[in-house]
Amino acid sequence: MKNSTLQNTLDKTEQWTRIPSAEETTFVVDEITTVIKEAVESTIGNSSYQHSQINQWMSSIVESSLSQLTKLGKPFKYIVTCIILQKNGAGLHTASSCFWDNSTDGSCTIRWENKTIYCIVSVFGLAI
Amino acid sequence: MANQPLPLSQETLAQFNRSMSTEPGTSGPPRRRLGSISTRRSSKDQSKDQPHHRPLFLRSMTIPSSESSFLSPTVSNSHISMGKRFSFAGWHQGGRVSFSGLYLQQPIQEVYVENTYRTGPEPGCHFSASRTQQILQATLDSYLKGVCYSPDSCSQLCQMLADLVLSKLKDVNPPRYKVVCQVVVGQSGKQGIRVASRSLMNPNTDNYTSAVFQNHSLFAVALVHGLYFE
Repeated sequence: MKNSTLQNTLDKTEQWTRIPSAEETTFVVDEITTVIKEAVESTIGNSSYQHSQINQWMSSIVESSLSQLTKLGKPFKYIVTCIILQKNGAGLHTASSCFWDNSTDGSCTIRWENKTIYCIVSVFGLAI
Repeated sequence: MANQPLPLSQETLAQFNRSMSTEPGTSGPPRRRLGSISTRRSSKDQSKDQPHHRPLFLRSMTIPSSESSFLSPTVSNSHISMGKRFSFAGWHQGGRVSFSGLYLQQPIQEVYVENTYRTGPEPGCHFSASRTQQILQATLDSYLKGVCYSPDSCSQLCQMLADLVLSKLKDVNPPRYKVVCQVVVGQSGKQGIRVASRSLMNPNTDNYTSAVFQNHSLFAVALVHGLYFE
């Protein structure tokens, strides 16, 4: 009995001290892009701009993106920013600057549009 | 590949040949000849051996050494004995040479940082949302007062604002905090726009602030998140 419990604790310790591979600790842009695009399409795929629904759409996009990102299971803190803009001919610029560790942290921006809506989602991932 | 010495110069070969011909069998350890299977020479055999003595040929696997006693008689073509020992790295002065004779670069010295055993920020060193908000608002107001929207210049203006805000925050930033700053600048038309953000962070140590500026032709939204780096 004692041997098996000792073995159990040893196994658990090995799991704790496992050093994650490079894939698990760096920000991978591709899979995040697919995840976010799915979230946006499922929420406002075919809708036109409606002022009353905007609140709901925003919450839904941001929450679903964040939950999908969490499901990836990587040791990252995430910031998801979403901008929804009505197509009116007006111009828009976004810029970001970050103070972080270039080797482990990253960001990606996804632009999506349909006939009446522009949607810009930015995801920042910072390694713990 | 690893152990190939330089081929012997003609001079040293000639020297060796002379020494072989003049002093047969006098030194203590017996010397081997290329291709020969005889081991020792006695003084009686001198007359017989001399005509058989051939000048040495250069071989690719020759290893010069000062002693030949370790050579086995069955090794027929690999070793001859020489008076001088060559060293492989001798001609590269000061540099480090690998075993194969190629140059080694100076290794990049990694910086090893010790564990601080700190799991959270110090009591007075949290990301201050109110102070950051004041800085943000002041920067936006001072920079965008009286500026008109123009499509060419506003993209640069936007990036410059983001960098400016970051540089101002770096001075105020507590240690071990990462900062993400985002600026949105748009033309003030009659369109509706909404900016939202949500983040996965530790509410005890991390925070965010935002500031808005608007005039007759443009609007600007600045978002700053401060995240503790564990």
